[in-house]
Amino acid sequence: MQKTEKAEKAEHHSPYRERSWPWHLAAGLFFVLLALGIWFASKQVDYNWNWQRVPQYLVSTEGQEVRAPFDGTVAVSDDGKSLTLTPGGGGAPVQFKDCSQIIASNGDQVTQDDLLARKAQLGPGPLVRGLGLTLEISAASLVFSVLLGFVAGIARISRNPAARDLATVYVEVIRGTPLLVQIFIVYFFIGSVLQLSAFWAGVTALSVFTGAYVAEIVRAGIQAVPKGQTEAAQSLGLSGLQTLRHVILPQATRRILPPLAGQFINLIKDSSLVSIMALTDLTKAGREVVSSTFSPFEVWFTVAGMYLILTGALSWGVRRLERRLERHG
Amino acid sequence: MAEAPASVPLISAIKVEKRYPNGVLGLKTASLDVAKGEVVVIVGPSGSGKSTLLRTLNGLETITAGEIVIDGHELHGRAADLRTLRKRVGMVFQQFNLFPHLTVLENLTLAPLKVLGLKPEEARLRAEALLVKVGLAEKAASYPAQLSGGQQQRVAIARALAMQPAVMLFDEPTSALDPEMVGEVLEVMKQLATEGMTMCVVTHEMGFARAVADRVVFMDRGEIVCEDAPEVFFGTPRHERLKTFLRQILKA
Repeated sequence: MQKTEKAEKAEHHSPYRERSWPWHLAAGLFFVLLALGIWFASKQVDYNWNWQRVPQYLVSTEGQEVRAPFDGTVAVSDDGKSLTLTPGGGGAPVQFKDCSQIIASNGDQVTQDDLLARKAQLGPGPLVRGLGLTLEISAASLVFSVLLGFVAGIARISRNPAARDLATVYVEVIRGTPLLVQIFIVYFFIGSVLQLSAFWAGVTALSVFTGAYVAEIVRAGIQAVPKGQTEAAQSLGLSGLQTLRHVILPQATRRILPPLAGQFINLIKDSSLVSIMALTDLTKAGREVVSSTFSPFEVWFTVAGMYLILTGALSWGVRRLERRLERHG
Repeated sequence: MAEAPASVPLISAIKVEKRYPNGVLGLKTASLDVAKGEVVVIVGPSGSGKSTLLRTLNGLETITAGEIVIDGHELHGRAADLRTLRKRVGMVFQQFNLFPHLTVLENLTLAPLKVLGLKPEEARLRAEALLVKVGLAEKAASYPAQLSGGQQQRVAIARALAMQPAVMLFDEPTSALDPEMVGEVLEVMKQLATEGMTMCVVTHEMGFARAVADRVVFMDRGEIVCEDAPEVFFGTPRHERLKTFLRQILKA
């Protein structure tokens, strides 16, 4: 192992290797030209670039509101940073510290729920909150699609004809219909029959959809393990389930992982389709922000960048995991 | 010895037939008895059905007619509990088929732990003793890919022995090996034979057959053509097809 790594390094520095940096430079130049092209094109349609508007939709500086928990009298401290509310009907006064902006004045009589002050606090903006929902939906769908996919994938190569039939019909039906249509069916039909929330309807649709693809990946991964492995396990008296668990799946996992990572990246991207059912995921948040800023270019580029970060982080993580698995001979 | 088989054979294959779904006959009315402690070597040209016959003996290959009884358990029929039987029959494959994701030690302990329900300590001791026996004690922590072919096959033999089987089946155990590694594997098999292990070996190693076998079986075109003690089998072959086969082998 170490030897081959060294050999690879040596090869990398070998003088016989052609220099590759001019080509990387050429590619870089191409992207610069592309960006310039987009900029000029937008000039042609008198587009106003307002990148400075984007950050507020990522990070919200709007403070947290401090509202009166009960009726009472306000006392503001001398430094103007904290305020004390004494209950009108008697009782212990309550102090609010570290306010950035005091709205009530000294001696004010306030009633419950009146706005007293704001606390400076950085919060997630609508786009980041949308990203959060996209992450939640994707993560939940990932878990269920893996469960579903493994069961269906194993069922597809089961010796039981019923299991095979069920899995085959599932995979073929799901892969043969568009995800958008499946989302409509789940949301308007299954969702209303089973009283699913929009979130769980989205997770259901995405899990069922992705599960069918995972099933095919799992099936292929298992079938790629040489038949001799099953025979050896069986000749030792292991049961079918034990063979699968201790011999086949550990070996199949390594083959399954790379295509599975690709499928999960698809899952994150496909999750943008759930925005049609009143779920404020990253895509829906982007649409809302565009309608209030009229800066579609900036916002959609930002949204695309945020999806890229998500998918990029995932594929990086999987590559690391793969490398760790490879170390075991 | 072949002339005096034990009263109840350990393996008894009676008129076994294997017809593939496409109609081809892999085995026709093959009958074979192996007594306890006997070493039977099966030889024959490729495609003669010798591996198929061996594989029917632990149910890796189903049969379409006839019956197989091993150690009192009938193997044919749906009700046969294959797993119970496979605990008693060890198998060594041409391609070793070690589990590449497990260390040598784990390869040896997996089945004793999961099938026999041994305690981890017991399984480890048993495995280590077997590794000493096949001369690979220092490789316990290695992965199969780090071993030579000969070493892998010796581990595979130890893995089968870890189940303490009554019979060992060898399916061309040296055919996938580089020539210089054949000896070390045959040595382990010879040692097993002298210890009284009941063995059924499919091989092209005529030297091994001559030296170790109690009985040599010649198969051709899916049938057992003849069987004899090695001296007779090689010294004064009676059957025409066997003579042709031996001539071809000696030419090579």
